[in-house]
Amino acid sequence: MPSRGERPEDGAGPVPAESSTLHKEELSSKIKEQKVVVDELSNLKKNRKVYRQQQNSNIFFLADRTEMLSESKRMKTWHQAKF
Amino acid sequence: MLAWPSFQARRAQERVAAGTMVVTNCQEKIQHWKKVDNDYNALQERLSTLPDKLSYNIMVPFGPFAFMPGKLVHTNEVTVLLGDNWFAKCSAKQAVGLVEHRKEHVRKTIDDLKKVMKNFESRVEFTEDLQKMSDAAGDIVDIREEIKTDFEFKAKHRIAHKPHSKPKTSDIFEAEFANDLKSKDLLADKELWDRLEELERQEELLGEIDIDSKPDTVVANGEDVSSEEEKEDQNINVNMMHQVTDSLALSSCYNSLTNSELFNGQVNSPLNYSVNGSSSYHSNEDDDDNNDDGGDSENDHDTLGVEDNSIPTIYFSHTVEPKRVRINTGKNTTLKFSEKKEEAKRKRKNSSGSGHSPQELPMIRTPADIYRVFVDVVNGEYVPRKSILKSRSRENSVCSDTSESSAADFDDRRGVLRSISCEEATCSDASESILEEEQENHQKKLLPLSVTPEVLQLGGYLKNLSLLTVIL
Repeated sequence: MPSRGERPEDGAGPVPAESSTLHKEELSSKIKEQKVVVDELSNLKKNRKVYRQQQNSNIFFLADRTEMLSESKRMKTWHQAKF
Repeated sequence: MLAWPSFQARRAQERVAAGTMVVTNCQEKIQHWKKVDNDYNALQERLSTLPDKLSYNIMVPFGPFAFMPGKLVHTNEVTVLLGDNWFAKCSAKQAVGLVEHRKEHVRKTIDDLKKVMKNFESRVEFTEDLQKMSDAAGDIVDIREEIKTDFEFKAKHRIAHKPHSKPKTSDIFEAEFANDLKSKDLLADKELWDRLEELERQEELLGEIDIDSKPDTVVANGEDVSSEEEKEDQNINVNMMHQVTDSLALSSCYNSLTNSELFNGQVNSPLNYSVNGSSSYHSNEDDDDNNDDGGDSENDHDTLGVEDNSIPTIYFSHTVEPKRVRINTGKNTTLKFSEKKEEAKRKRKNSSGSGHSPQELPMIRTPADIYRVFVDVVNGEYVPRKSILKSRSRENSVCSDTSESSAADFDDRRGVLRSISCEEATCSDASESILEEEQENHQKKLLPLSVTPEVLQLGGYLKNLSLLTVIL
């Protein structure tokens, strides 16, 4: 499952994890997560870097902030639709 | 009739529990493998885009909690773990191929697990239904057999030796005879045999119909039923209860149940346990014990026929198979039952009885004939051995019983014979001398000396035979 780890450092922006589940409780928690992600991403300074964690491993790849923001928003609406 | 004892209910509960455990176990495994599949997908995606750039800015992990910014270089060189600490260096595309291959394996595993889960789910569901029904009924199951009234006789009726003689009624169900032919003892042999064959044919036909018309199958313990029937049949084969028709009563005369016949699945006994009428029954073997991986328990289509009332109903049906009996139609080949008794009484009174029946000498051609003639001595009374001789069922002819029970009882008779005492040793000189002669002549004398007077007298009967091979 795609996940993004939070890294509090200069030029970097944290991205909370997201996951998709079948059950309603888990779905609602996911939606909350997505909300947090979107909020955090939108509140990042412009010079921050966003890293994306590679699934199931400890490697973080640099990712585009704006891209990440839009993706998170999409995921959020998707989860809400599922719910 | 208590057909679903409480231990069955407990077993059902256990089965349900085990089944649900298996199902949850499978679900967990499926979850795990799905996650693995997901991971591989993400990896594949990453690998496919990896060579697009010469280097990537990444966060390099230092131990479990620390990271350092760094670069990922040599983006096309991938080292793949092949297992057992062997690695392979390959390009990103090759790595993608490897990942695809592993994903295939994972997919197969997931499919197998899903199959297993599905099978166990259905099994659990079935067991739960069964349990519900048995709980509702409180360990009581209604067993019904539908009897067709147009059932024909498959063998000839018993013919009384004396027109008004009554059969022995001790230890037997109450007998309701349909007495159409019972008192007739004037039927020609040929007619009888023709009728017998005709009825046999009808019986087979009816048996097939019975099989087809009862789709409700039941997981029932066929073997218990059959063994019970056989035990009882030994005693009451002579006089059976039947509410139905002549044919079934008739067939009872000739049926001696054997294990092989019983276990054919179609029951041979004409017994009718009249609890709530009767029922049709298929000994559908219990498939629940098939625990193959992946499940052959698709066969578990056993269902109880649930009636409108809460008591589960098992449908039961007897079908009667023709007993394979080789019948000699010679006239003088056996003593009739009543005559034997009279003869026995005569012998007892006659202290110096010659042992010969003045009226009839049984024609003895084979050792088997001996047993037809032979009677037990029990408490001073002469009792025919019903289990083998079935003298009552052989009015005018001799049936040499070729069924397996005869073989079984053969040994029993042997034992009985040797244990019989010579209380009534009213041996005539003639018969004794004959016996002694035979003892001299035949080295291999299996018959012990403590033999009944009957045997000695039998020796008298057999004086015409050159070889007395009384092998018991």
